[in-house]
Amino acid sequence: MVKPKIGIFGLTGCAGEQIVILNCEDQLIDILGAIDIRYFPTAMTKNDEKCELDIAFVEGAVVQPMDEESLKKIRQRSKLLIALGTCAVWGGLPAMRNDVSRGEFLEKVYGTKGKSFKSIPAQPLKNFIDVDLSISGCPIEKEQFLKAVTYLLHGDPPLLPNYAVCTECKMNEYVCMLVEKNKLCLGPITMAGCGARCPGYNIPCYGCRGPVDGANVASEVKILKEKGFTLRDIENRLRSFAAQAEILQEQFKKE
Amino acid sequence: MHNSVVIEHLCRVEGHGGITVNIKDGRVEQINVDIFEGSRFFEPLIIGRHYDEIPPILSRICAICSAVHTITSLMAIEDAFGVKITPQTTLLRDLLIQGGNIESHALHLFCLAVPDYLGYTGAISLASDQPELVKMGLDLKKLGNTIQEAIGGRAVHPVNAVIGGFGRLPNKEMLLHLKEQLKKGLKQASATIDLMATLKIPNFSESQTVYAALESIDGKYSFFGDRIILSTGDSIDISKYKEVCNEKVVLHSHAKQSQFKNKPFMVGALARIMLNGHKLTGKAKKALEKLGFNSSSQNVLYNNLAQAVELVYAIEKSLEIIEQLLKYGIKDERPIKVKVKAGKGTAACEAPRGMLFHSYTFDNKGNLAKADVITPTAQNLANMEKDLRVSVERLINESKESLSDKLEIVARAYDPCISCSVHLVELNSK
Repeated sequence: MVKPKIGIFGLTGCAGEQIVILNCEDQLIDILGAIDIRYFPTAMTKNDEKCELDIAFVEGAVVQPMDEESLKKIRQRSKLLIALGTCAVWGGLPAMRNDVSRGEFLEKVYGTKGKSFKSIPAQPLKNFIDVDLSISGCPIEKEQFLKAVTYLLHGDPPLLPNYAVCTECKMNEYVCMLVEKNKLCLGPITMAGCGARCPGYNIPCYGCRGPVDGANVASEVKILKEKGFTLRDIENRLRSFAAQAEILQEQFKKE
Repeated sequence: MHNSVVIEHLCRVEGHGGITVNIKDGRVEQINVDIFEGSRFFEPLIIGRHYDEIPPILSRICAICSAVHTITSLMAIEDAFGVKITPQTTLLRDLLIQGGNIESHALHLFCLAVPDYLGYTGAISLASDQPELVKMGLDLKKLGNTIQEAIGGRAVHPVNAVIGGFGRLPNKEMLLHLKEQLKKGLKQASATIDLMATLKIPNFSESQTVYAALESIDGKYSFFGDRIILSTGDSIDISKYKEVCNEKVVLHSHAKQSQFKNKPFMVGALARIMLNGHKLTGKAKKALEKLGFNSSSQNVLYNNLAQAVELVYAIEKSLEIIEQLLKYGIKDERPIKVKVKAGKGTAACEAPRGMLFHSYTFDNKGNLAKADVITPTAQNLANMEKDLRVSVERLINESKESLSDKLEIVARAYDPCISCSVHLVELNSK
């Protein structure tokens, strides 16, 4: 069998997805035996900048023209392009306040020298190119990544959950952060896959995996308001990880 | 003779950076560590946010150092509101940071730095020839992650450490499991020291260096401290960290650079060993003696040796913390409640790559009015440029490829975390 050629790319972000890949300590050597890594500059030198790739994994958001250029080049050379992590899938934390001009941020941070730096509002990959598969999470879950790789190596599209963190939380029989603990929990509208990690630690869901398809955001907001949270607190939480998601943008327009 | 050397993309480092050198008549005219990692504008993004939202957001500055970013952020908030945490919380936080340090150092040594000394392009090619060596590195890395998962709830961006304490406390079985893993890890860390002792460390980057680190408390080696000490003899309270990290904007970098009294300085494992190494005990002390570098060392490549010594230290310290937790038993403590008031809080920790500062100002409702985060890589950039400059001048007659490879080794020795360095501080906050 010819080993598939793989590239692992990072645009702008915390490198969390690449670190999760490197955190597959028990599986890493086996995975390396099954694939042909051509590009992974975080982990190796002498990378192949040009060859055609069977699969490109891309983490991070697009926050500057250079990211956009790199992304388009990756797309051109890859049969499959997979967005890894909340920044790549939703824009992530850097996209929290795209309503404020980057020029204002640049000046605040770098003073008059800020004018020489280029910055664009942070955006997910899908705003620039076709994405074949999205695996969200801040960071992605190791098990989900490994499962996706296994499916892909067999030529199958990976199965990803399409239900809310709330479902996983109930299955684990955790105490409900929203109803019983009156916390600002985004479990009902957030994409599952983490096993309701935070509620398991008595912490409400911050929504770090982005919204689940068909989430009833209006109802979530109504419940939170009834519990006494201010619209500002609710919007801040909703904005943290996936402010650019259409389903959330619709909600912000209503308010 | 070369006129310029350009390394467009540094490999085996975290993030996006390069090196540009302009040379005239055998002398370096200009040397830039170019940081072109995009700006995420963390500090202006979070202004106005409620205090309890800050740590989970700022942990995302960096995946590798997410545990220590979280802890430093919690400590700065607690400092602002006068929250006093319990001794048990202090121990658990220390353990979490030790886990982060083990993971980070093992990753850097085995996957990023050591392949250079053995003539490989990375851990991937090293693994095909010496799988047992890479396996040992991965085991050590996993040990750090096991600690971070047990105490922090997740290996990257921990969720369980909160203001005033922890969401859920570990139980005795978890601690006993960690203890077993740590004992195994200690043997592997000792084997790492044996390996490091055989490496030939070149001296082309040697130059006079000012070191800076937190002064560890209670006379013991530690990643916590209230004062910054420098090899110049200066000692400064952490609340005055800006006197040390005097940041300036340079056009070739999205990260700002730090200078102390107009001189670059180095932070990180080597700086800690140089300034606090005499406080090491047990196997870590023996490891330092075996590797035989002394307090006059001016070679940044020894940072890799210092990281190996700290692997031993972090494992021994983790075992010591677990012994203490087991001896007194885990008390069922809830996180301490916060009484919000207007004010400023500053905290510092030793992150794997050096001193990390978080400083916040809150209004009387607990909303963030100002934030400042200074990361170790940002502090190191000016010193890295200095070391690269002397290296170029000593290696000027080598081929361009050999010179480039060696400059990458110098940059890599700092274990730069470029995402971290580009966090961005508001200029007018000085």
